[in-house]
Amino acid sequence: MHIQELILRLQRFWADRGCLIGQPYDLEKGAGTMNPLTFFGALGDKPWNVAYVEPSRRPADGRYGENPFRVYKHLQFQVILKPSPAAVQDLYIESLEALGIDFSKHDLRFEEDNWESPSLGAWGVGWQVVLDGMEISQFTYFQQVGGQDCRPVSAELTYGIERICMFLGGYDNIFDLIHGEVKTDEGVFPVTYGQMRQREEFELSAYSFEHADLDLHRSLFESFEKEGWRLLKDHGHFLSAYEQALKMSHTFHVLDARGAVSTTERPGIIKRVRDLACGCAKAYLEHETEHVAASAKGGAQ
Amino acid sequence: MSANSTFLLELHCEEIPARFLKPLTEDFETAFTAWASAQGLGAVALETFYSPRKLAWRAVGLPLAQLDQTDIQVGPPQRMCVDEAGQPTIQGLKFAEKWGLDFSAVRFEQPTGKKEPCAVVTVTKVGRPTTDLLMEALPGLIAGLHVPKAMRWGRSDFEFVRPIRNLLCLLGETVIPITVDGVTATNTTWGHRLHHREHPAPILIATPGVYEAKLEAAGVVVSLDLRRSRIATQLQDQAAEAGGRLVADAELLDTLAEIVEFPKIVRGEFPASFLELPKEVLVTSLREHQKSFCIERLDGTELLPFFLTAANRTDDPAGYVKAGNEWVLKARLYDARFFFAEDRKQPLSARLEKLQALTFQRELGSYYDKTGRVVALTKTLASRLSKDDEHIDRALEAARMAKCDLRTLMVGEFPELQGIMGGEYLRHEGAHEEVWQAVKEHYRPVGAEDAIPGTSLGCLLSLCDKLDTVAGCFAVGLIPSGSKDPLALRRAGQGVVRILWEQGWPFTPADLIEAALRIVGPKATKPAAESTEALLAFFKDRVAYQLEQAGYAPSVRRSALAAGWLDLADLRARCEALSAFAEDARFTSLAQSAKRIGNILKDELASGELVRGLLTQAEEILLADKLVEVEAKTEQGALLAALADLAQPLEAFFNSVMVKCEDAPLRAARLSLLFRLRQAFLRVADFSLWQ
Repeated sequence: MHIQELILRLQRFWADRGCLIGQPYDLEKGAGTMNPLTFFGALGDKPWNVAYVEPSRRPADGRYGENPFRVYKHLQFQVILKPSPAAVQDLYIESLEALGIDFSKHDLRFEEDNWESPSLGAWGVGWQVVLDGMEISQFTYFQQVGGQDCRPVSAELTYGIERICMFLGGYDNIFDLIHGEVKTDEGVFPVTYGQMRQREEFELSAYSFEHADLDLHRSLFESFEKEGWRLLKDHGHFLSAYEQALKMSHTFHVLDARGAVSTTERPGIIKRVRDLACGCAKAYLEHETEHVAASAKGGAQ
Repeated sequence: MSANSTFLLELHCEEIPARFLKPLTEDFETAFTAWASAQGLGAVALETFYSPRKLAWRAVGLPLAQLDQTDIQVGPPQRMCVDEAGQPTIQGLKFAEKWGLDFSAVRFEQPTGKKEPCAVVTVTKVGRPTTDLLMEALPGLIAGLHVPKAMRWGRSDFEFVRPIRNLLCLLGETVIPITVDGVTATNTTWGHRLHHREHPAPILIATPGVYEAKLEAAGVVVSLDLRRSRIATQLQDQAAEAGGRLVADAELLDTLAEIVEFPKIVRGEFPASFLELPKEVLVTSLREHQKSFCIERLDGTELLPFFLTAANRTDDPAGYVKAGNEWVLKARLYDARFFFAEDRKQPLSARLEKLQALTFQRELGSYYDKTGRVVALTKTLASRLSKDDEHIDRALEAARMAKCDLRTLMVGEFPELQGIMGGEYLRHEGAHEEVWQAVKEHYRPVGAEDAIPGTSLGCLLSLCDKLDTVAGCFAVGLIPSGSKDPLALRRAGQGVVRILWEQGWPFTPADLIEAALRIVGPKATKPAAESTEALLAFFKDRVAYQLEQAGYAPSVRRSALAAGWLDLADLRARCEALSAFAEDARFTSLAQSAKRIGNILKDELASGELVRGLLTQAEEILLADKLVEVEAKTEQGALLAALADLAQPLEAFFNSVMVKCEDAPLRAARLSLLFRLRQAFLRVADFSLWQ
């Protein structure tokens, strides 16, 4: 199956099950969880179902486009269901069937894998979903996000798009995957993942392992932090402040890939990102409470 | 109606983490049996079942009701309950009424302790039906289970290990409709997830007895033992079919049995080119990433390019399960090969400096600092074991390289390969065999079951590394207490003792403690004397445990240990001699005499200066002669043999000689004789502790 077909089918499936189809957030990030649609969506009391694709960057995973299984940037398909439905596992299995997986012939296991994001102050419990021995999804019941208890609890489903495509097609090299076909008057041209991304993988790997300016990134980290707290404290702006937290996180990962963060420094740096993210989560909830109170008052008049 | 029936409870959940299955099942078993006994339902034996989605318990012979309880109630005296005409008084009627009885049920007896006959009734408390008791108690028992990592789901505040999706609860054929977090129990449950994609209806469990059979028909083998034994059989068969034998791993077998509901072993292949990776890397990678077993050649030398893993279904009709696992494994091995190649692009020694950035322990500094200490310690000890400079140099080289692999990609990925990878990389670099072997094995023994390193250099390195860890931590106040030993210092200390014990090296724990603390020196935050004392007590416990592990009887251990423990070779010889001698017919008599000597000397001041000329009786002169022989023995076996020969003379001595006689000089001489005898005994054991 082509990558774009897989994405379209997942979007169709989840839209039909009552999810909003969201869009990737236009900042560098390591996982779909960091998208505000999830980070803020999982907080508070209101029901919230959303599904979207998120390009996710992991600077230390870059392999210059040479490793057939590992890349700097991959695509996640993210689903948030709040509150978590009673039949959530069945729903998930149906979504795989929508991709053409016939469970009369495959092996499926849910193996314990508890998720934690120290830089988001978030954790949950759940599984890695293993299909015929391969991890194809991460399945999490959020317990806390941004240091706040999740009430109600959201279920988060994260599909590894390239992995599932490779697995379904029996590909041995990620760059051989077909993204889709370009149909023109001159003919039909299948476009591979490699054509679209291999050079990018090379340059981004070289950047994170060799060329990134360490002093610049250290100073950027400080500046983003300062900017974030200024926005949050002086203006009570949690969305723009949260963007600064995302930038801090990515900057940290670039430094980390360069080996510029010592083991002793590491927890301290992660805590600085977490503190800002948690500040944003708290401000968001306060804002929501005021908003609810205000509209209740408005309704009474 | 029979008076008892079979109880069955099943919690059907979303997949429960394997590590919690057994503890949760046992936790409920304990709580339920305690509850049943407190309710007067007797001693209930629970059968337990569990699978990834199920926790279940069954009790055969649970009474259908509590036994009726009868109590005798004593009321007012007879004279106040009945009037002169023999009619009940108001007080008498009230007494009967109080217990819900007619006055005719009241009888008059004189209970013990009363001076006159009183009104007495027998009150029967009817036992409650077990169904009622279960209805009330089960929700609390379930909610009260200890869940180490609990979660919430949906909108509920209920916490459990994973969401509960179905409850099955029966007493015989009767459903006990308990409700837990909105789920009400019935007599149905769910089979294997994939079974229900074709058969949507739930499984009816009409009576507790059909539970396992019904579930097996629906794709769930609910008994762990059965799953494990089926897996074990299939593993053996498949390995044999592939022309090799299984690389056994009991822990992995348990894991597989815990993560599937219906076990099917699938054999896959991987490209033979990956066999160039070290065996340990392949075994670890397959185990950690794919929960797969390896197959080795029948001679145990090399691996075959096959793996075995468990699928959670009955078959593999299209071969997808095999193909999928092979595909993933190839990706994993590709990664392992990448790490193996990358790591060797620079010599292992290039990581030495990088150890500075890796903290060993806050006060004790980095692994670089630790390496420095281990090198110094190795230098001190190696020069006492060998005069061969080349050998000593190799020991120092191994100590320098020991921790370098902590900065390799492979150990980053597989921490359990620490040491092993260092050794492998050094071997590839052409290091001396003694050096790479020592590095490879220096974490051993990793537990009581594991052997010590196979080479003398490996033992030395292991000992120095562990000794530095233990002494260093004690010197900064990190001392294990009770169940708290987060740094596994007891295990490290045990390793030190094991190595000393098995190698027979001439170091005493006191020597080692002194040397290690001297090297830790400036990092210490506690006075050396305090650390030394704590370390001596710590190592004495380790030595005691070593004696237990070596299989000596409790009396041998106690009495030998009390006679000195610092010289392990000597202690071992004494334990051996004592164990052999304990079988000797003369032993009991000798041990008794030794105890008697101890008792006599308890309140006496005796001198070691024996004035032999003062002794008068033949028995004591003979004993003094024998003492000279005993004192001349140097070897433990011979010493014990000579002591054994004292059994008869000692008996004779105690039968005829009065030690505490009136004649003061004679009395002093006799006490001296006993004192010297006790000293001789104490060279082997303190017999006062023999039981």
